[in-house]
Amino acid sequence: MMRKIDLSRTYAPSDDVVIREIEGEIVIVPLTSGIGDLEDECFTFDEWGRAIWSKLDGSRPLGTVVQELLDDYDAPAELLKGEVIGLLQELYERRMIVEKG
Amino acid sequence: MDDPLRPRPSLGDNYPVTGLMRAVLEKGKPFRYEARGTSMHPFIQDGDVVTVGPVPGGGPRTGDVVAFVHPATGGIRVHRVVRTDQGRYLLKGDNALGDDGSLARDAILGIVVRIERRGRPRRLGSAFHSAAVARLSRSSWFTRLCRRVRRTLARREGRA
Repeated sequence: MMRKIDLSRTYAPSDDVVIREIEGEIVIVPLTSGIGDLEDECFTFDEWGRAIWSKLDGSRPLGTVVQELLDDYDAPAELLKGEVIGLLQELYERRMIVEKG
Repeated sequence: MDDPLRPRPSLGDNYPVTGLMRAVLEKGKPFRYEARGTSMHPFIQDGDVVTVGPVPGGGPRTGDVVAFVHPATGGIRVHRVVRTDQGRYLLKGDNALGDDGSLARDAILGIVVRIERRGRPRRLGSAFHSAAVARLSRSSWFTRLCRRVRRTLARREGRA
């Protein structure tokens, strides 16, 4: 069973992804399947996903990241927390992020 | 809120993906993308999906089909090495009348290791076959002849 995202843990991009900002858009190519599939397995973020991703540098616990986002965005705390955890769960299941500590 | 992580539709021919492709290859992994155009017809056809792997240590050989950064446009092309000379590579599309010039190793991203057409893998051909095509396609008369034969065959199929 896949591990649950924990606000006390620290997360960072996996070494098994390639990330590039192209024409203002973040493009992520996972390499977990052994190939960089630019045709069928390529992802991008909306503005909100981008804001979360930019803070995932492995330097602080996810709870601190959520607090920073609450300071930056005028959004209900529970909604924002749910969105962050939801996105990280998906990124974790796709092995695009790893737990650092 | 919408899903913040979205699949990115096909990056397309004009999308500046050189850096992305280089980054994938630097990690020792191949990349897969849709090739556009007819310059490698019939070996690679418009819309075929090609997989490009890292260049082996010895560098590309004559006959290899490689992905490279076109010096004039900066775009990605997939053409054949038709001659190698002291670390430089003369590249040409099988169906192109002119070559791309003699390029340095840096311009070559990787070697085509797989071709899919309408979801099915295509045969790449032996090293001997590839070298023979490279040798023949150095001169434009062979390309013109091939084009003429293909046009004739297409007309006959149209009549049948």
